Amino acid sequence: MKVAISYPPILNRFGQKAMVSQNRNVQFFQKPTYLLPVVQGQAATWLEQLGHQVLWDDGNSQLKSYRRWSDDLVRENPDVIVFESTTPVMKFYWSTIVELKNRLPESIFIMTGYHSMRRPEETLSKSPTDLVLRSNHIDFVLAKLIPFIAKEPNWRETCEIEGLVIRMKNGNTRDTGHFRQVEPLEKSPLVDRDLVQWKNYAKENGNFLQTPGTYASSVIRDCMFGKCTFCRYNGGDLTFSMLPVEKSLNEYERLVNDYGTKEIFDDSGVWYRGREAREFAQGIIDRGLHKKGCYFGFNTRFEYLDEKTIALLAKANFRFILIGLEAADDETLARLKKGYQIQHVERCLSWMTKYGLHPHLTIMVGYYWQTQEQLDQTVSFVKDLMLRGLARTLQVTLCTPLDFTEYHEECIREGVLLTRNYDDHDMSKLIVKTPIPHDSYYLAVRQMYSIAFHPQFILRQLKFLFSFRKRDWQFLFTYGLRAIRRVRQHIFNLTREQGKSDNKLEPAHAD
Amino acid sequence: MATDSLKDSLNLNLKANYADVHKALHNVLGNESLSKNTFKLIIERGHLNFRAGQCVNLGLPNSAINREYSTYSGEKENELEFLIREVEDGDVSPALRKLNRGDTIEIDGAYGLFTLPESKPEDRSYVFVATGTGIAPFHCFIRSISNLDYTILHGTRLNEENYEIGHYAEDSYIHCVSKEKGGNFEGRVTDYLRQNPQGAEKHYYLCGNRNMANEVYDILREQKVSGSNIITEVFF
Repeated sequence: MKVAISYPPILNRFGQKAMVSQNRNVQFFQKPTYLLPVVQGQAATWLEQLGHQVLWDDGNSQLKSYRRWSDDLVRENPDVIVFESTTPVMKFYWSTIVELKNRLPESIFIMTGYHSMRRPEETLSKSPTDLVLRSNHIDFVLAKLIPFIAKEPNWRETCEIEGLVIRMKNGNTRDTGHFRQVEPLEKSPLVDRDLVQWKNYAKENGNFLQTPGTYASSVIRDCMFGKCTFCRYNGGDLTFSMLPVEKSLNEYERLVNDYGTKEIFDDSGVWYRGREAREFAQGIIDRGLHKKGCYFGFNTRFEYLDEKTIALLAKANFRFILIGLEAADDETLARLKKGYQIQHVERCLSWMTKYGLHPHLTIMVGYYWQTQEQLDQTVSFVKDLMLRGLARTLQVTLCTPLDFTEYHEECIREGVLLTRNYDDHDMSKLIVKTPIPHDSYYLAVRQMYSIAFHPQFILRQLKFLFSFRKRDWQFLFTYGLRAIRRVRQHIFNLTREQGKSDNKLEPAHAD
Repeated sequence: MATDSLKDSLNLNLKANYADVHKALHNVLGNESLSKNTFKLIIERGHLNFRAGQCVNLGLPNSAINREYSTYSGEKENELEFLIREVEDGDVSPALRKLNRGDTIEIDGAYGLFTLPESKPEDRSYVFVATGTGIAPFHCFIRSISNLDYTILHGTRLNEENYEIGHYAEDSYIHCVSKEKGGNFEGRVTDYLRQNPQGAEKHYYLCGNRNMANEVYDILREQKVSGSNIITEVFF
């Protein structure tokens, strides 16, 4: 069969493109950031290995206009088209599928992703989507589903593969039951870099200090902790699966030696910890990959990595460590079920900076309970960490309920969600009632991003030069200039609603 | 649609109550060795509330490292218990093994949705499949809810790893021992399950290592158990 793994280019009214950011949330940016959708890449690779014709159709990274993208897709006339859903682009996807179904009436439209997996009936009722895939293991399910569809004309009525909601010929829907929570990740092929046109994703990523960079096949799917209420990698229907260390090392070896990558990031919800983390770092060293000028990075949690492990990671040339701080007050961390204690943050970060790693903090503001005091606490804590050099970069987002996560459900139940328009969930504005004016949170965003221009922060970066690590020189002179441009973009994106009314959005109801 | 029954069976209790998330130093009351590699840590309950099946993060004071452990003791018991395997070269478990009465430990939690239905859990029949210390949440279920209709299939390598067998109802605990003679069955839990189907209508909870979870899932599906009746939590 001919299968298209498709990402349409989506533009907002400011001409910004919808792009995948942290945790595969969609945000609109002017300057491009193209993140390789790794699981879809594995699915594409697997399907091709099974003898199907795969069209890797990312209209964003291939720099297509919407019209060109849709015309090209119609010309290709795939048997199956696979999309990935998330809340802020759902309406766009539904209308796109309506349009494409008219032009490609024989094609089968499959919706994947964390929004539709939690509301499959909604997508089936709002669009002529043929099938919603509820599993997060898109590669495993498609590798079973596509061959089944290919050989079984009556697949809508007979398919028993778990985790599907199928539109049947009579128009009714059929649910094949809960999906398999754990999959043996070692059976899914590593991403075929040529198939997914990896170079399209190799440069435009603000987190790469060197290029070409790339994303590795995730070693953990989705998250080993999996309890944070705002995160889509949380829920009783999810647990985590783990890729064996050896297989991941094989991929890194190939990426470094055959593709010449200079930065590899693993976007697992959290990466290995403990013994697996040390085995991986030692494996990098044993294979000599730490001497090839390639930096490695991953997401982790506070209180997951000890000093011994961090030292070994540094020796293996790890650099970029993305770590969710979220807030600096105990109430917020408890409400978010973050599972770490604020008093240990400084120690965890000091281990990382001691060995030359570059911790990147992710922070959110605008929780529906967040008081001015809590907000100030977060701003001053973040400022202190940055000015003391305990973290090197940061990213601030407006906490936005998405994909029917625990936080999203909570906002609906508490009656604090200010909109029922999915387009408003694009992380560009606060959409929950808050105890203080929204402008206070926008101001906090400005304050935190502005730390990058603080003389003390710049002085600290200059001091890092005396460690004579190449990465610190690159940080200041290469990444620094790029970061300043991106900081300005982030401030614009996240504060453009400043000064406007908090309550102009249509109130939402719990239904 | 099956989505509703799934939600029910998974007991997606999304009610946020941050007051239930607890962070405190607790006193260690005891540390009992149950096998060569496994021990039971007994800790003062304090004000920790949890639902059977949930986990907490345990860490040594000021170590800045923690790990998740499922509660082993029941919801209403006065003391907290954790069943812990000492991981060779582990970051936390070897230090936990050295704790003695009077020491303190940091607890952060409780978290997780690997729980039984909130409403009338005793109305269903359960098969709990565990490897090693993956039996902890099932022990907690049994200590928390009386009249539970259950069978536990417990896979361990050694005979001595049938931790506190007396806590389970007679005939409800099947010990599958894979590396030596002994137990109720010589072999892995997967071998037992292949030879002894437990019934397609039952609700299966799997806890332990991912290889077991994968293999058991395949066996259950072959035995016509609905995917909606299989709930998994992996440890590693």
